[in-house]
Amino acid sequence: MGVSFVPVARVGELSPGSMKEVDLGGRQVLLMFVEGKYFAFSRQCPHEEADLKTAGQLLDGTTIRCNNHSYCYDLRSGECTLPKGAAPLTVLTAEEKGDEVCIRLEW
Amino acid sequence: MAYDLLIRGGRVVDGSGLPSYVADVGVKDGKVVAVGKLNDSAARRIDATGLAVSPGFIDHHTHLDAQMLWDPYGTCEPQHGITTVVMGNCGLSLAPTRTGIEDAIVKSFVRVEAIPRFALEEGVKWNWHSYGEYLDNLEGKLGINVGGLVGHIAVRHNAMGEDAVERKATGAEVQKMRGLVLEAMEGGALGLSTNRNERHMREDGKPVASRLADDGEFFGLCDVLAERNAGVIETILGRNKIEHFEFYHELAKRTQRPVLWQSLQHRWVEPNLWREQLAAVEPIFRAGYQAYGLSHTVPLVRHFSLKECQVFDEFPTWKNLMFLPVEVRKQALGDAETRRKMRADFADPRPTNFHRNWNIPKVEKVFKTENQKYVGKSIQELSKMQNKDPLDAFLDLALDEDLATVFWNANNGGDWNAMGEILRSPYVLVGTSDAGAHVQFGADFGYGTILLGLWVRERQVMTLEQAIHKLTFHVASIFGLQGRGLLRPGYAADLAIFDPKTVQAHEPEWADDYPAGSKRMVQGCVGLHYTIVNGTVIHEDGRLTGDLPGHVIRGPLYRQQKAAA
Repeated sequence: MGVSFVPVARVGELSPGSMKEVDLGGRQVLLMFVEGKYFAFSRQCPHEEADLKTAGQLLDGTTIRCNNHSYCYDLRSGECTLPKGAAPLTVLTAEEKGDEVCIRLEW
Repeated sequence: MAYDLLIRGGRVVDGSGLPSYVADVGVKDGKVVAVGKLNDSAARRIDATGLAVSPGFIDHHTHLDAQMLWDPYGTCEPQHGITTVVMGNCGLSLAPTRTGIEDAIVKSFVRVEAIPRFALEEGVKWNWHSYGEYLDNLEGKLGINVGGLVGHIAVRHNAMGEDAVERKATGAEVQKMRGLVLEAMEGGALGLSTNRNERHMREDGKPVASRLADDGEFFGLCDVLAERNAGVIETILGRNKIEHFEFYHELAKRTQRPVLWQSLQHRWVEPNLWREQLAAVEPIFRAGYQAYGLSHTVPLVRHFSLKECQVFDEFPTWKNLMFLPVEVRKQALGDAETRRKMRADFADPRPTNFHRNWNIPKVEKVFKTENQKYVGKSIQELSKMQNKDPLDAFLDLALDEDLATVFWNANNGGDWNAMGEILRSPYVLVGTSDAGAHVQFGADFGYGTILLGLWVRERQVMTLEQAIHKLTFHVASIFGLQGRGLLRPGYAADLAIFDPKTVQAHEPEWADDYPAGSKRMVQGCVGLHYTIVNGTVIHEDGRLTGDLPGHVIRGPLYRQQKAAA
């Protein structure tokens, strides 16, 4: 059991809608600043593994679409919203801690 | 008789499904002219001793409509023994068109099939209007044979302009569409395709045009095929639902044309769906109608170690562990309290895509000699051998090898028995290569060579003869590809020569051969020695010859028109 806060960016580093690539434990994660909040999620689309760095397109609000097959995911929960019920996008908790944006990992 | 080509001593698998036999194959003027013990002279001889000689494979589910305009081979189709392709699936074709609607068609291809816009803008010149004129553009420039379905999306835009993505059609517009479908069929289309998949939008976020059609419109278009007794109807309705079979039944009964639906695959999270689908489609065939389900041959297998693993991301504790630094992760995976939380994750009854069945993941590769005995064993078997709880056995083995142990898992297509039943079913059409689509995300040209290598040789779910039938004559019969799909005298000399002992597709890889200097994914193959189209070798041991013997394959209404003329 434990909790870890991994700093991945400086507050203010990301402009709205921009992405930052982050390596966490050997896995590739994208950090995005949307509507005043930070969202961290796996770079790989869970449907057929397209790279969301290039295939991901932010739609209205917090929905990202993978342009490989148009699967859509809610960045808040990872839920696949189109088509409903498909495998979710892996999302991690990102939060500001002082001047830093950290990923919170709890186990 | 002096042959153009004589293939000596191969094992002839003729596409009928009947037992294979050793024979020579004589080819002249693009056709097979003799099969047996042949001693006549020939301009070229190929020694096929120890190899199989079969009809060339027919890839019926491609999106090569654009690629064929700049790539006469539809690469990498010939590398996998494919001699004929069918374009125009899922409602998408590049014709019929008219000035001003081209971009609406491009928008649909770009989003639905993930074909880069710049490739379409550079590679498609739009010097046609009708479907027949589009096919005319390909004549004489092909390495493989090409046929196509006319797509509902282009038809709808043609009749309605941008209103096609905004509203239902009027009666007059449906009539106009019927005329366009008839014109396309008379120009050589092999059938009609539509798209009702709720995921399928255009580049601008609007639904693709065919999604706005009601049953009345779609049936009206299909009636054109029914009235002429010609062509197939290809559909994509989106998520697999048993309710869809009422629609397929009604459509097949109304038109008496072969209906194709997508798709059918074994998934561990819905382990009985494929069986329910086959049970649902059986009454349609029993009633004398045809509604074939499309199935893929590529299981979604994941090879993973706990050094880098996404398999368990749906479980919060597991997920967070997999993003920790490896040394911290190792410490955590050995901790009893962490394991308790991991078990609790698995016990949560909410539905997940991971099957939570320890009988499925297997030990694939170990690094310590003393662990060799576990290779090939499921985690359940491992736990019995070690007299431990499965989770403990799984994690302890990984920790013993510094997390390097490689495991095998499949959420889709991993049940050999289920896949065997699916692939053998007479109601299933094998192959959804999607060739020409999603070009920067994957490459499934090798669905046929995977069928031969994985499912025939390794897993023995069907005979070589059954598999070749599925890849050739089964498809030719459904699509009405006259004179193709069998290795018999009088049939086109579209042939594949391969080694059944070694044939197998490679993993996809990147290539720099797409328009505007861009990249795409390609797929090679081993054990496929020759691909022959209309009697001419186009692919020889990994090398394209440069010859262009391919034909445009036009459908029955075109042939009737031509005969009448």
